[in-house]
Amino acid sequence: MSIPLVPGLLRDHLRELSERDERVDGRGRLEGRPLEVEVNPIERAEGSARVRMGDTIVYAGVKFQIMTPYSDRPDQGGLMTSAEIRPIAGRNWEPGPPSEESIELGRVVDRGIRESGCIDVNKLCILPGEKAWQVIIDLHAISDDGNLFDAFALAAIVALRNATLPAERFDVGEDERLELSCTPIMCSYHKVGGRFVYDANGEEELGGDERIHITLGDDGHVHSLQKGLRGAFTSEEFNDIMGAARARREELMQLVESLEQD
Amino acid sequence: MGGYGDVQMLNEDGTRMDGRRPDELRKIEIEVGVVPVADGSARVQWGTNLAIAAVYGPMEAHPRKISRQDRCVLDVRYNMAPFSVTDRIRPGFNRRSREIGKVTANALESVVQLELYPRSKIRVEIEIMCAEAGTRCVGLTAASVALADAGIPMTDMVVSVASGKVNGVVILDLNKEEDNYGDADLPMGILPNSGELVFLQMDGDLSPEDFQEAWDYNMGAAKEIHEIMVAALAARYGGDD
Repeated sequence: MSIPLVPGLLRDHLRELSERDERVDGRGRLEGRPLEVEVNPIERAEGSARVRMGDTIVYAGVKFQIMTPYSDRPDQGGLMTSAEIRPIAGRNWEPGPPSEESIELGRVVDRGIRESGCIDVNKLCILPGEKAWQVIIDLHAISDDGNLFDAFALAAIVALRNATLPAERFDVGEDERLELSCTPIMCSYHKVGGRFVYDANGEEELGGDERIHITLGDDGHVHSLQKGLRGAFTSEEFNDIMGAARARREELMQLVESLEQD
Repeated sequence: MGGYGDVQMLNEDGTRMDGRRPDELRKIEIEVGVVPVADGSARVQWGTNLAIAAVYGPMEAHPRKISRQDRCVLDVRYNMAPFSVTDRIRPGFNRRSREIGKVTANALESVVQLELYPRSKIRVEIEIMCAEAGTRCVGLTAASVALADAGIPMTDMVVSVASGKVNGVVILDLNKEEDNYGDADLPMGILPNSGELVFLQMDGDLSPEDFQEAWDYNMGAAKEIHEIMVAALAARYGGDD
């Protein structure tokens, strides 16, 4: 991504708004943008989701392949997450091999899902040492107006929860739903004008400092953290956003559960 | 074209496996303004195909070596999402997508009034989110509508559609099975107001009579698709469709 010049004016403006406890688009500090989630919009994918948060729009698609298990784990399948920010997503995204930004995005989303253990890799084994399922999550941004992290993570978990193992197509049994044992959900906070805000938009990201991504599973368990970009924060600041993330995860969980398809 | 002529793709009554008549299009839906951060955009749902196109610009031509003193350059990319097909495709460009991007650019260059924006660049991004057959036509059609949504001056919008042949019968707008087992495919990019062509490819085997019938099917369908494109723009901007 080519980084545009950050006008000092924008940073000053964000600082002034912050001092008045306001945000550039009128939201409260911990308020998210309007959220829309569509389940299985992609007919060719085995599970998919489209997430819109304000003017940020992303898709996640789940595909399954048959793999040979690794020799040190003959009874386990695999999981791969890949994020690609194609130049359709915005003026500053450029064509070419995956940028550092998109690699970080894919890896942070991957860690939240992987470490939560929501996918039991042992259950992905078809024939020990010979055949196992590989789950591939592809994240595809269409419109980037900030906070691709949360949009990708939400799209990924909704796509997984609504995915079907295409066993009949690979001649290894009957099609069945992918089982998940828990639901990791990411909440991201960005320091803008000297304080952390939830779900930063593109303008806030451009004029902001460091960001923190928190992935929480069931029963309050923490599964992944990532601090990105330049800036330092205190323990008190972290405790504040961790508390906010716990509350927000419950709201998002209700949304995710309301979307289940038969 | 595989030319597996022995696979039966037509019903006894002459209709196709998906119930269409030989000269019937798949269902087409078009919506504009679907990429809020872009200067223009369009979503085209065409049968099971889903294409999203976005336009950025005109902007400064960069890198400098692509800049032209007397006109604007079109920077067109066609890409298929990894999950857009049955067997996942690895992300990134391949020779097929490069070629489609190039012929799409050549088609659009024929209608965009490039001389209005010297030393500039217009980026056209086509993403195939779900593929069924005919994605190059769907992508080119989506790109035309996105350019119109961006307010880029054009002499006409390009309408793209293909015809082909299965079991000895010429058919309009092949679906996936018809494409796999058919004998020929003739995609065209048509300017509906003048009847001119700006995009043409063909592969397979067609007799002179079949070729003429496929050509005529495409010409007739272009008018029908053009109405859907204009209606999508009118739905956003008003005016007569």
